[in-house]
Amino acid sequence: MPSTTTTQRKAPTLDELIERHKGKPGALLGLLENAQELEKFRYLSEPTLRRIAEGMALPLSQVYSVATFYSFFNLEPQGLHSLVVCRGTACHTRGSLELLETALARLGIEGFREDESNSVTTPDGFASIRTVACFGQCALAPVVQVDGTIHSRMTVGKLVAAIEKLRKVPAPEAPKSK
Amino acid sequence: MSGKMVSITVDGASALVEAGSSLLEACAAAGAKVPTLCHLKDVSSNASCGLCVVEVEGAKSLVRACVGSVGEGMKVATSSPRVMRARRNAVELLLANHPADCLTCARSGSCELQDAALTLGIRQVRFPRTRAAPKLDVSTDGLVRDNDKCILCGRCVAVCSEIQGVSAISLAGRGIRTRVATFMDRGLAASPCVQCGQCSVVCPTGAITERDDTEELWRELAKPGGTVVVQTAPAIRASLGEALGMEPGSLVTGKMVAALRRIGFDKVFDTQFTADLTIMEEGSELIQRLTKGGKLPMITSCSPGWINFIEYFYPSLLPHLSTCKSPQQMFGALAKTYYAEKAGLDPAAMRLASIMPCTAKKHEAKRPEMRGAWEYWSAKAGASPDTAAYYDVDWALTTRELARMITRAGIDIARLPEEEFDDPLGASTGAATIFGTTGGVMEAALRTVYEIVTGSPLPTLDFEAVRGLVGIKSAEVDLAGTKVRVAVAHTLKNARVLLDEIAAGTSPYHFIEVMTCPGGCVGGGGQPVRVDQAKRLARNAAMYAEDRRLGLRRSHENPSVKALYAEFLGEPLGHLSHELLHTTYARRTD
Ligand code: SF4
Ligand code: SF4
Ligand code: SF4
Ligand code: FES
Repeated sequence: MPSTTTTQRKAPTLDELIERHKGKPGALLGLLENAQELEKFRYLSEPTLRRIAEGMALPLSQVYSVATFYSFFNLEPQGLHSLVVCRGTACHTRGSLELLETALARLGIEGFREDESNSVTTPDGFASIRTVACFGQCALAPVVQVDGTIHSRMTVGKLVAAIEKLRKVPAPEAPKSK
Repeated sequence: MSGKMVSITVDGASALVEAGSSLLEACAAAGAKVPTLCHLKDVSSNASCGLCVVEVEGAKSLVRACVGSVGEGMKVATSSPRVMRARRNAVELLLANHPADCLTCARSGSCELQDAALTLGIRQVRFPRTRAAPKLDVSTDGLVRDNDKCILCGRCVAVCSEIQGVSAISLAGRGIRTRVATFMDRGLAASPCVQCGQCSVVCPTGAITERDDTEELWRELAKPGGTVVVQTAPAIRASLGEALGMEPGSLVTGKMVAALRRIGFDKVFDTQFTADLTIMEEGSELIQRLTKGGKLPMITSCSPGWINFIEYFYPSLLPHLSTCKSPQQMFGALAKTYYAEKAGLDPAAMRLASIMPCTAKKHEAKRPEMRGAWEYWSAKAGASPDTAAYYDVDWALTTRELARMITRAGIDIARLPEEEFDDPLGASTGAATIFGTTGGVMEAALRTVYEIVTGSPLPTLDFEAVRGLVGIKSAEVDLAGTKVRVAVAHTLKNARVLLDEIAAGTSPYHFIEVMTCPGGCVGGGGQPVRVDQAKRLARNAAMYAEDRRLGLRRSHENPSVKALYAEFLGEPLGHLSHELLHTTYARRTD
């Protein structure tokens, strides 16, 4: 088999993923996860959701139901960097609201309402801020995740420094804002 | 159920109840009324509200009676202080995020949340509001969704997917953002929703209601000099009484006519007139397809939710649909042509309201092709039509809306005299009446088709095989040597079964009746809420009683229909019929 020796593993296409998951009970969750990874800006676009519903022979509303239930799915293009602010009770009592407001202000985001949405992206696609109900790290509250790294006992000062550090990494290509 | 009994104790009194029954049923059998909110028999039980909790001896936490089942020797307390506290908490938490709109809410008086608050004696709400006020969904002609009044019981979602097989809505989001949503939260109009309104019937609150047309109609009725006429669908006479507090199944034909006159309609006509006409046209169409070769099976087309359904889900099967407009739309087209001319009325100025068991009728009335009268008069006037386009039917109101109008006018329906419909669009037969129940259109069609084809009257007019609430019914009829196989489906999930057969090329049928709603129009999406199978059966029985009461029971015997053909239309499937009484369908996407 000459062609398989040194070739890079190619990411599967969405259709291949669907083919792989089709007809398996409970496959939707995994499929959505894979589909999101496939997407450059880490989100599930409307065409992707439609394609999945069609391929899996599921109603659109049910696919949407699952995609909106789990907080790790994004329905909007995500920024280059990601900040996740825990808004669980423990973090809240230790000042996570102030952290969230700091992050929003530092990144110049206005009009975000926690009761309406759980994530927001800067118009230039530089960063996304997401809130979660609980990280399960309550002993270390308040907790903020920056680009995948969990920072415990976060303070406003540390958060500002972390955001400034992000700015030093140039954004290669920003997703289109909506 | 096995029929085996177990003995339990409910609130200190011992009782013998059926093994395997739910705690809810068991408590009810023992005389204890456990309040429920989310649970709805035969529709859904996701145990989300917590209202039905009871204390079971030995169990650590309270048990939700709607999903818990009985066991031998169980000791149940249904109204202990702990139970009461939990129930009040559950309702108060719901009310914390609920607008205090009862005074102006369409469901006030029939709302199950209101009942719950009343039953539990809630006088204050101790918890603050936590969720943002959502936007109204007013995207469709038929329905209005107000998620602010939603208690997330899931009944609408269950009915839409399990009974109708549409799945336009689901629960989306989580936590405080959980909501009933269409795909991408775009609203019903941008979804597969067929506007059947079954969700509005099962909703315990005012979160899904029919779009209200009463205000506009009152304004029109108050205008001096105008002519406003009304038509009433068959099923209304079997449900209006119930909507106004009478026994389910009360037949109020004459009182309904009297009430409509008192409300101020200039003429009170009957959609049954055009139901008979539908049989003439559709029966002729069937005979033509059977004898001259046409798409078979032919499927009925009078239920607009069903039309929306096939246009979205099975567009390739559209040629199977009868091209007949629904009785509502046939009526509209004739009222503003044939009748307007006869009565010397300006068709552009007259107004027509319909009273329908259905929310999808509101949508049907606003389909762009439903302006037959305007097209007819425009064609007569030549190149430049002298009026702006108008619809054949100006408003389609539900049974619930008419009940509200009658109440508002201070009319005590029980004390009204029985009055007759106006001529000529008020004459009808028993065959038209049973359009209101599943199997009725089929039975009415067979009564007429049989006689036309065989030349002799039917041995019996009652086709028992197509009656009743079984989901799919079928029968075989011998039409002068030709065996004609027919099937009847109600609810769209059942319709799917027959459509899949057609798509697979295995359908054995020649003629199929489809009704969108459970039980047919008597169980329609615009009918009185808090319905169950027993009430549907009672309304059903009222339809058959009316069929027997009317002297004429075959559509082709309707004298006014005969006159209509003689004076105006010519013959069934004739040129004018095609222009005014038949229609076309198109693929629908979201
Ligand atoms: S839904 Fe029920 S409780 Fe809510 S405002 Fe309407 S009547 Fe009142
Ligand atoms: S009207 Fe019918 S199709 Fe539309 S959401 Fe309600 S139940 Fe579903
Ligand atoms: S809209 Fe009505 S039926 Fe649907 S979940 Fe909300 S309260 Fe229940
Ligand atoms: S009725 Fe049992 S939990 Fe709602």
